[in-house]
Amino acid sequence: MRPMTPSDEELVERFQNGDRSAFDILVRRWDRKIQGAIYRLMGPGEDVRDLTQEALLKAYRGLGTFKKEARFSSWLYQIALNVCRDRMRRVRGKSTLSFEDLSEGGELPGATGPSALELIETRDLSRQVAAAVNALPQEQREVVVLKEYQGLTFLEIAEALDLPLSTVKTRLYRGLGQLRQQLVRQGIGGTAPVPAPSS
Amino acid sequence: MDCDAFRNEMLDLLYGEAAPATGRRLEEHQAACPSCREELASLRRLRRDLAAWQVPADLGRTPESRVRTPLLAAAAALVLLVGGGWALRGSEVRYEQGRFAFRFGQGSGNAELQAALAAQEERHRVDMQSLRRSLASTPPSDETLRRVQQWIADSEARQATLVATGLARLEERTEARRQFDMAQVGAGLSYLDGKAGLQAARTTELMGHVLQASQRK
Repeated sequence: MRPMTPSDEELVERFQNGDRSAFDILVRRWDRKIQGAIYRLMGPGEDVRDLTQEALLKAYRGLGTFKKEARFSSWLYQIALNVCRDRMRRVRGKSTLSFEDLSEGGELPGATGPSALELIETRDLSRQVAAAVNALPQEQREVVVLKEYQGLTFLEIAEALDLPLSTVKTRLYRGLGQLRQQLVRQGIGGTAPVPAPSS
Repeated sequence: MDCDAFRNEMLDLLYGEAAPATGRRLEEHQAACPSCREELASLRRLRRDLAAWQVPADLGRTPESRVRTPLLAAAAALVLLVGGGWALRGSEVRYEQGRFAFRFGQGSGNAELQAALAAQEERHRVDMQSLRRSLASTPPSDETLRRVQQWIADSEARQATLVATGLARLEERTEARRQFDMAQVGAGLSYLDGKAGLQAARTTELMGHVLQASQRK
């Protein structure tokens, strides 16, 4: 019979009781996800690996006194978000992904740049989505990344961002709305918003 | 349920987080309301488009040397920032686009070097004017060519001397300041960590944990 996989909370407890190896398991479990979140929040121009290590280092330092009022995942994402925000503050003017970074050849569609025809020709949906997400205001981008790409529940996002659930949903809905408009402008069809009927 | 209520709770349905009872009410509404049904369908299509953005498969595979050295790099940068300010007045350390960039400036200690270079440049200008005049009247003689070669050789020798002297002076001052700053940085880090020995050991240990765990992944 296979041993049961310990939950994050069990591993945290083991760590707090002196079993430092429990942190290894947590890192193996979360490292890739945190990297993904940082990559999407900061863009490929940033040193994702270093930022991830910085976040994990902070987690290691804080885990001994971590109160289990929030989920470990929310707490870890909160640390990662703070690391990203610190980096954005330090690197002024580089707070969002540049189109040049994404296109590598300067051909990436931007909000005010190339025509719809050019966008269609590039046929690079991934880069267009990346550009659209990174063009969102930071507070919307954080929620979109955590929900859409990290798969956190609304409650986990509310914990990670220390926001009411309703605010999280409002930011997400606005973010999705902006993404939809942006992608329609870029010629990715079929996602036009539908006005609500007066009820 | 009306349309406003539907759109307030639609995200729960979109992401599969609606409680069963709420989910039923939402489903009933969208079945009866073409506008809300289309809005939900539009967001579902958007989510399919958003899924196209994948994290690169090699994102986590950073060259080992880079994984092992972030703290060393940070310490080096700190030393440069602190020590460089004193030893290399006028020089500049900048953090741009995730990378450190270093530019030598013109400290007051380089005044002699700058004066010598300016004098040499002026001599070259006068010599070049003279050469142009002579070339305009007569083709270059062996003597002219010899003089030009001699100027070039002299110029290269002077430049090499000046650069070597400047670099030696710079290295001397930087090394002295580096040693002093290393001691200061060490003391500062120990102070920040609270209890010097214990905390340093813990820092080393936790870095080891993080690095080992991330590499065993």
